[in-house]
Parts: sequence; structure tokens; C-alpha cells
Amino acid sequence: MRLLLLLAAPVIAQQLVILPPAAELTGPEARQQLIAEGTAGDHQEDWTCATEWSSSDPKVATVDEHGLVRPAGNGEARITARAKGLEANIVVRVKDAHAPFTWSFRNHVIPVMTKMGCNQGACHGALAGKNGFKLTLRGYDPEVDFATLTRQSTGRRVSLADPTASLILLKPSFTIPHGGGKRFAKDSLEYRVIEEWIAAGAPPPTPADAEIRGLEVFPAAATLAPGAEQQLVVRAKYSDGHMDDVTRWVKFSSSNEGVATVDDWGHVKMNGSGEAAVTLWYSSRVLYSRLSVPFPNQISGEAYERFPRHNFIDDLVLAKLKSLHIAPSKIADDATFLRRAYLDAAGILPTSEEVENFLADKSPDKRAKAVERLLERDEFVDYWAYKWSDLLLVSSRRLNSTAMWAFYDWIRESVKENKPWNKFANEIFLSSGSTRQNGALNYYVLHKDPIDLAENATQAFLGQRITCARCHNHPLEKWTQTQYYEMANLFARVGVKNGAAAGDNVVFAKTSGDVLHPRLARPLPPTPLDGQSVPLDSPEDRRVAFAKWLTGQKNAMFSRTIVNRVWANFMGRGLVDPVDDMRATNPASNEELLAALTKDFIENGYDVQRLIRTIMNSSVYQLSSEANATNQSDDIYYSKHIIRRLSAEVILDAMSQVTGAPTAFQGYPAGTRALQLPDTQVKSEFLVSFGRPARNVCDAAERSSDPSIGQALHVINGDTLNKKLSAPEGTIALFLKLGLSDRRILEYMFLSAFSRYPSESERETLTAALEKAKLSKGTEEARRDAHRQALEDMVWAMLTSKEFLFNH
Amino acid sequence: MFRLDADRPVEFCDGLRRRDFLHAGSLATLGLSLTDWFGLRALGATDGSRDVNCILLMLIGGPSQLDTFDMKPNAPVEIRGPYKPIKTNVPGIEISENFPRTAKHADKFSLIRSVYHTAAAVHDTGHQMMQTGRLFQGGIEHPHMGCVLTKLKGPKGDVPAHVLLPRPIGNTGGNMPHGQTAGYLGKAFDPFVLNADPSDPNFKVPDLLPPDYLTALRVDRRRNWREMVDKSVSEFETSQDARLLDSTFHQAYTLMSSQKAREAFQLHHEPEPVREKYGLNRFGQSCLLARRLIEAGVRFVTVNMFETVFDEITWDIHGSKPFSPISCYRDLVGPMFDMAYASLLEELAERGLLSNTMVMATGEFGRTPKINPAGGRDHWPQCWTMLMGGGPIKGGTVVGSSDDIAAAPKERPVTPAQVAATVYRGLGIDLQIELPGAQGRPVPLVDRGVEPIRELFS
Repeated sequence: MRLLLLLAAPVIAQQLVILPPAAELTGPEARQQLIAEGTAGDHQEDWTCATEWSSSDPKVATVDEHGLVRPAGNGEARITARAKGLEANIVVRVKDAHAPFTWSFRNHVIPVMTKMGCNQGACHGALAGKNGFKLTLRGYDPEVDFATLTRQSTGRRVSLADPTASLILLKPSFTIPHGGGKRFAKDSLEYRVIEEWIAAGAPPPTPADAEIRGLEVFPAAATLAPGAEQQLVVRAKYSDGHMDDVTRWVKFSSSNEGVATVDDWGHVKMNGSGEAAVTLWYSSRVLYSRLSVPFPNQISGEAYERFPRHNFIDDLVLAKLKSLHIAPSKIADDATFLRRAYLDAAGILPTSEEVENFLADKSPDKRAKAVERLLERDEFVDYWAYKWSDLLLVSSRRLNSTAMWAFYDWIRESVKENKPWNKFANEIFLSSGSTRQNGALNYYVLHKDPIDLAENATQAFLGQRITCARCHNHPLEKWTQTQYYEMANLFARVGVKNGAAAGDNVVFAKTSGDVLHPRLARPLPPTPLDGQSVPLDSPEDRRVAFAKWLTGQKNAMFSRTIVNRVWANFMGRGLVDPVDDMRATNPASNEELLAALTKDFIENGYDVQRLIRTIMNSSVYQLSSEANATNQSDDIYYSKHIIRRLSAEVILDAMSQVTGAPTAFQGYPAGTRALQLPDTQVKSEFLVSFGRPARNVCDAAERSSDPSIGQALHVINGDTLNKKLSAPEGTIALFLKLGLSDRRILEYMFLSAFSRYPSESERETLTAALEKAKLSKGTEEARRDAHRQALEDMVWAMLTSKEFLFNH
Repeated sequence: MFRLDADRPVEFCDGLRRRDFLHAGSLATLGLSLTDWFGLRALGATDGSRDVNCILLMLIGGPSQLDTFDMKPNAPVEIRGPYKPIKTNVPGIEISENFPRTAKHADKFSLIRSVYHTAAAVHDTGHQMMQTGRLFQGGIEHPHMGCVLTKLKGPKGDVPAHVLLPRPIGNTGGNMPHGQTAGYLGKAFDPFVLNADPSDPNFKVPDLLPPDYLTALRVDRRRNWREMVDKSVSEFETSQDARLLDSTFHQAYTLMSSQKAREAFQLHHEPEPVREKYGLNRFGQSCLLARRLIEAGVRFVTVNMFETVFDEITWDIHGSKPFSPISCYRDLVGPMFDMAYASLLEELAERGLLSNTMVMATGEFGRTPKINPAGGRDHWPQCWTMLMGGGPIKGGTVVGSSDDIAAAPKERPVTPAQVAATVYRGLGIDLQIELPGAQGRPVPLVDRGVEPIRELFS
């Protein structure tokens, strides 16, 4: 019996489903576009155009040849799709098919005007409107827009007596000249919506209107064939329970046009391999559909089977690679792993001795042990203190020395004791008192006004850039202007006054003070972005509400953001990229992985060190950066390690380490490493040239790792590296004094700079070059100088090579 | 060995499909820089017979059209602002009283009074559009016009093809790219950024020359040994950043060995009166340096008049801190522009360079016709004026016009895409070509239907 079934099974599994999986039509104007989504083997296909559609009861609902369902009478019907020999059907419920119906200003007219572009920033949605006609940007305030349309310019814009003579019909249909051109035709649905609304007496938006609660997109995710086309359907759900197909009025865009492009009607074309998020915006709600095309590779299951899995990171990355037909590269060798681990965790190179010991170590768990040792090091603390100082903008630019040190020391202490990240944030937002005693409070010395605080806090801890919402609803996100000012009002009562000593301030909660919404000219109840409002007259420190919401269990964004930052440090690219752009329209490249890491982080006490250990112990972290035949162009899905230039401070410190000549920083004790500096204002041509951030704004893009001609010139001609090489107490001078052979010196330099032994051919070639550079005759001194210079030049060549400057 | 590969094969307009964009052997042997190489393999799309250069002055902050080049003295007081127009040496053309020296050179440039854009009214979008002709969307970064020129024509001799003075545009509030790089063309075509202040008494190009203690022999030896040590570890072949590092070293050596380049940057060789004529400030000296760079063979110089609009006096006259007051057009910004721009035009003309050097000056938008409660003006991309002259561009004309209050174009509206098309035409580039875009998809240099501004060419 089983054998028979096996023989009867089709060679390529095929399946047909209808999306959405069930439909509800409410009112005579309701429509629902259906999609016939087929599965052919391992990918989906949009079969809608090749489908025969039929309704079980045309008296309830009809369906046309394009799959569009219309209501006919109340009740239930089944819509069937037949394509490629397969069949599927769904239930459609119709309600109020013959009920009196009026288009709603809030839920129909505004979306029409938004989709047609009437209220976009370039036209009537501009701050000053256009040609005397001003609408709110993308319709964020229907009440205001209604008044503008019906009260101002009475009878002209909206003419109740003669609807088709209304300006808002004449102009966009180009019946009369319109600066914005023809936006819709006279026989379009859009025209009809506005005309019928006016004819019905132009009813206003009211608080009783159904409010949009959320969106759904179909398909929400799909794996498609190269060059495939896919129609998307978007459905809105409302507070009164009804649903509407709003596809026609959605604003679509693609996160990666190289992979997929989408037109104004939600029709997607796949252009390349990889994954793209097609984001959609409707009525200040955002959502996205994830569509992907696997790479054109044939990969045996074995390639995935034999990959060593250490933890859930490996499982989830492999799942993604499998779905995209990319095979992971091999695991990096010991030398590569060691150098990478030291640099990523502590910003230092292993010493030549540490390298030799590690390479000679035969124990099977030596990598995990190396990770543990790194977590214990002082340099580990320095590195992460530096990183969080970038985040919190520690510098002497706006903080005096005492304040800056207090702030930095608090950060460093927090890293040292592995303070849980929620506790770290709470210490900033829940404390009051002396900034000297609690360094965290210098945050309020840096950010003095509520607008600044609101924007900075959300950027640093939530990866949200809410600035746009200061003037209008955020065009890319779901934040409204109202939410912006509710949020800002959380910080309206932070007081900072001078303390007892210079550089000491006292942070306290004031008993009054509010931020006014600019148009409403009144304060709004302080409310964290997605959270619960606090009454305006509550005497409690409002920051408490913010802190509770920020670090509360329900706030996944708080954890996602820090998880993403830490991940990006080790993997070279955040799961969300840019690393601090966590908006809803910028999805993660592996959502399942980010969600799992976040869950693990929250469930284990917001422990950053633990997260670091988990990442470093995964096989994915330990992958080689060498491409195989299938993943040459992958720099998103972690199938191979991403090569990236080291940061400015790490390079400078590494050069100091190899040459044995520390950098002198003005005002700091000799031997201070760049990564130990609390201040990005410390003068250093090298650091500025190589992209050290100014710490003026909380933006990961402030730090640059792009190579430039200026950097090349600096290491060729500048003093920084040159002086280190010739330092009289440096490594080269020391080795010459000790009389070490060129071979031995080279080996040391390789171990120190590259964390590996030179190959035989490298030994041959480089020692030969050094020999040639030496003088065969001349004074003792001249010969010594020539020898020293040759070594300096050789080490220079090593320290400016890609292998040194890059983490690979 | 040096290879830059397309991710996918790209079909060029000569019909050939290339897996590798370029395949350069040991560059030292060939004696070529990367950009020389590109120049040779140019897409047959340039007219080399008449090289035209370009200087782009980015008036960061967005000058108010009503207070600079599109005065409306008959408008109500709350529109026309505090400044009065003055005549220029071209009958019929009047500009702000804050530009008396420029007024004597109106024959050398034309005004386009109907420029507008329809993207968001933030600084960054205008920067993108005026420097690349396009608004950035979907993660795609289009190249600066100067970078396109670099890719198509390569450098002239040893100097870089495109130089950016004095520093890149920094924070202007939008968190978006400013369109000042080569985008999808690749960082190899980025401009050379000076990163120093030419008005500094100790100005020199950072680290342009080796220190005294390094002989030429050692500099050369280091260069060779670096290539020897740095044998292409195979991982690096797929890393664009790693390949770019080598390219930057190569370009650095080229720059170092260029007598012409060194000489061009030596501003202290200019007589003091000339330096004073341009204005002893960052912008003035950058304009002077731009002239010298053009003389030395640089093809395109971009000068950023300011780097930020926050806590600095710029064209961004919102009227309240941290932005600038309207009075600064009289007290600081106006004179700063007037001295530098007029001197630049004058000197280019005197040296016979103006006939083959286009000079453009523009902000990223105009400003609100109605003065705001703080006594300033806010962002207004709906209508502004830009200046263009030199090369094949006519001088002394006005293209387009605005309405009574300079709120909207009245005649002949001009988009940033059309401005870019005009620049490309002026540079002698075939507008029909396609550039290799992101993921190998060809991008038209200029979108279909976008025409250069005919009225500016004779």
C-alpha cells in the first residue's frame, strides 16, 4: 500500500491555496482581491492570472476572472479556484450587502487623497500647503483636513449643491488646469469615492468612526522563482470588526530594489537573488512582506548536515542559508579564529606568545576556553566601555573633565561587573542626585531639553529615529506627531542645577513643566511610545514611567536593539542594518534569529557577557571569510565571515603593540591605549583620519571605516606610524640589540601582527629582500642603520597590509 | 593582480557582456592608475576633443531666493524681507545689495529662477538631488556628478579627477546620505577629500609629502615590499573594502609623486592681495584653491560652503538658535559668498579658464516667502534660484521666473534632474549612456524625458 502511494506521488509536489484564507465583505462597496498561490516544489508561484474562479452562490458573492470578489447578498458562499489541475476554495461571508452605505471621510476619502498624492510633502501636504490649499501630511489629522475642505473657501472645494463642480474633483481629474497634473480619471474609483461622499452631504469624520486597528499582507512571505512576479494583497482590520481590502490605496516600497521592485498597485517583480522586504504604508500603519529568490546553486543536503552546530545560532542561520540555497564556508583555522576573537571581544591582538601557545594547544575545547579567558581581561572591559561611551556620547565637548570622567567611570564599572542591560538603562533614567556620585546622571547634563532627551533616549536604547515626527506623522514609521509630544513630555520635568563643586550637578525631578504640542498648544499626557499614559497632574517622577516601559518585559525593542548592536560587533553586520535603524520598515535579514537571540537575552537577565559568549561559541561566528562556489556575493546572511576594516582606535593600539611604541596622548599617562580614552576630543590626526566618531549625535554612522586616500597618505607620510617604527625603545630596536636573526624577527612580527607563522615561501622571500637591503660594506654604524631601516620598512609593509588592517 | 567583478554579467552599450568590469594587471608595470584605466576603457561615451571642467559651490543651508537672487521689492513687507535689489552689469538683471562685487560679473553667469523639487523639505534630499540629479530610494545611492565624470573620463595626469573642499557635508539633521560620493559606481571613484582648512595659516594637505627622515628610496622600497607582503590572500578578493584599500594606496602614491598636485595645493604661493580678495575664510580660500586645482588639471571641484547648519552661521536662516538669523546675509554669509564667487569668476575669466570651466552655485532649497515669527525663513523647496555659468553655459541670462512672491515657478520650472542633465551636456557626456548600477543593473545617466536646459547653451 505504501509502495503504491510512493509510486503515485508526483515528481514535483504541487499545492494550491487561496489568499486570504477566508474573506468577509461588509457593505455594498466592499471588494476582496484573491490570490491563487501555488506551491511548485520548493517555491511559490502566483497563479492568479491562470486561474478559473467560480462562486458557489452568485446571489451572495460573485468573483470575476481576475479573482476579484464582490458582494451580492448577505450570507456565505464558497469561492473556488482551479489552476494547473489543482483546486482550492475559501469561505466568503457577506454582511450588509444592501445596507445604506456612505463613504467615510476618515477611512475612504483621506486614504484616496493620500494615495493620489494630494497630501504628500511635495504638494498640499507641505508645511505651507500649495496654492493656498493646505492638507495635513499624509492625512494625519482628518478633522483638520475636513475643516479645510468644507469650511475654508466655502462651496468651492467641496460643493454640496453640485458635487462634480467641486474643486477637489475638477482639479485632480484635470477637468480644469491643476498644478499637480492629472491624479485620477473621471471614471476611476477614486473619483467616485469623493463624488459620492460629497453627494451624500460630505459627512464629517466623527469619534464614532471605525478606527483602523491593523494590517495584514498576503502572502506575508514567499520563496519565488528568479524573475517571478507576485501580486500582494493588503487587508485592514477595524475597531468594529470589519475588514477591507485596501491594496489599491497602499504605498508600497522595496527595501532592496536589486532583489525586488514593486509598483504602485502592489505588483512585485523579483530582479535578483536574495530576500527583499516589500514594505507597505497605509493610514500610518506599516507592515512588510518578505519575498525571496534563492541563489542559483545546487547544494546537497550533506553540506548542511555536516556543519558543526554548537547552539541555536547555528541552527537558525543554517535554516536561512538552506532556504536561499547558499552553502556555508568552512570553519576558520585556529590562527584566524584567535586573532578575530581577540579583536572583536577586546580590541587587541594576541601576543606572539599567546598565539604560539594556542596553536600548540591540543585540547578539543581550546577555542571555548580562549573565549572565557578573553571575557576576564581588563582590555575586554576597556573595549566595551569605549563602545557604550560612543553610544552615550561621552566627550569633553559638552562635559567638563570631572563630569566626563564620572560618566565614563560609571560606564566602565558597569561593564566590569557585567551589569544587566536593563539595570544599566534604569540607572540613567531612575536616578536623581549628584552627577559626581552617580556618573550616569551626566546624561542629563549632556541632553538638557525634553526634545533632545526624547530623541536621544529612543535612538540609543530603541534604535528609533523619531525626529521626523516632531513636525508631522513619521513618514516611514508608525509614530504620530501626537505620540512624539506625549513622549517628549515624559522628560519635561528633569531639572539640572549646579552642585556643590565644579563639575558637579544635581539632577532632580521638577514638580512642574510641560512640553506643549505645537498645534494644539497644550501639553499631552506623558506617554512612552507604545505604552501607558501618565496623568498630566501626577506628582510622580515621569521618568519612572519611561524607565518602566523601556526596560519592561513587554518591550522587546529594548532588547532587540542591544542584541543587534552586540551581534554587529562580532559578525560585521547587524541583523538589522544600519545597526541603529530598527524601524518597522527596515526588517531583519533573519527575523527568526533576532527574535531567538532577543528571547534568550530577556530570559537570562539581560546579560551582555552571556550573549557575547553565545555568539563567540557558535560555529557561524567561527566561519572562514573565504568564499566557496555558492556564496561569493553573500554579505548579508552570514554564510561566510564578513571582512571589515578595524576601527581607528583598534588599529592605532595594534600598531603600538607590534612596534612596542605606545602612542602619547596629551593629558594622559604614558602607555594609555586609544581604547582607554574616555574622550573623542583627544587630539589625534590618526584617529580622526581613520574615522573616529565625534560623539556629537547618537548615530552609528558617525564612525567610519571606509578607506580613503587621506588615510593612506597618513600612514605613508605621517608621523604616527613612522615614529613608532623607529622608536628607540621599540621592538625593532630591542631585537637588534639582542642580536636576533632576521628570520626570528620576521617570525615574531608575523605572530604579533598576523597571529600566525609565516609560510616557508614567505620566510624565503622576505628574508631575501631584507638581505638585499643590507649594506655589504661601509662603517659599522652605516651598516647598522641600513639594517634597522630595512627592518622598519618591512614592518611598515606588514602594518599597512590588508591582512593587518582588516578583521578577516 | 587586481580585479573588480560585477556580481552579475553586465551588458554595456557596446553590446559586449563583461563578467569583470576591469581586469588590471600589475598596475605598476602598466604605469596606470585605476582611474586612467577606466578612462581608456570608457564606454565610448565622451567627447574628448573639448574637455570642460566644473566647479560646484554648494551653498549649504539653503539661501533664501527672496534675499539673494530673486528679489521682490514690490511684495508686502512681510514677504520682501529687509534687503534691496541693486543693478548688475547686465541691464534688466538685479540681485541683492549684499552682492555688490558679484553684480559686476553678471555677464559671466545665468540665473535659473524656477528650480524646485518635490521631495521632503529637509537638507539632505536637496544635497542628493543637486549633486546627483536624483532622490535616493530603496537603499540605492546615486553617484555625484563629479564621480560620474571621474569614471567616464578618468583623471588628467597625476592630479585627482574630482576634489572635495574642504570637508564633507556633516550633520544637517536628516540622517540621510548627502550624495557626495560615488555611490554604486564604487568608492574607487570617490572624490579626494582635502580634510583641512585652507584658511589656516599653517595649511597644507595632510601628509602629502614624506617626512625628511624617509628617503625616496625607502618610500619606494616600502611600497614594493607592501605589495610583496600583501599577496592577495584569497579571502580578500571578494571584499570590496579590501580592494579599495589597495586602490587608495595606489592613488596616494600617484598624488605624492605629482609635482603639479603639490604645487596646486601650495596656497601660500598666492600673493597676499589675491588671498585677501577671495576672503581670508574657509570658503574664500577654498574657492581660490579650486581655481588652482582647475589650473593643475583637476576636472571637477566641489566646494562645501559649510559642513553643518547647527550652531554655525550659514544660509539656514530659521531665525532662532541653533540656526542663523536673516541679518547674517548682510553681516557674514553674503559678503563671504560675494567676495569669493566674484573673485573666482574674475580670475577664471582673466586666465582664459572660464570658457572651459562651468561654475555652479546652488543651495538645497529656497526659503519660505512669508517671514516666520522668529524673523527668519524656513525650508522651501518649491522655488529657488541657482547660478550657472562658464564653459558652454551662457552668461547674463535669466531662465525661468517665479510668481509675485517667489513661492512657485511661474515660467519654465526646472528640476534637479534637468540641472544634472545640463551639467552632463556641458561636460560633453553623451546623455544616452547607462551607468553600471547596484547589483549590476544598468542605470540611465539621465532618465528618459529629462532634457538639459536648452536656453543656457548657444
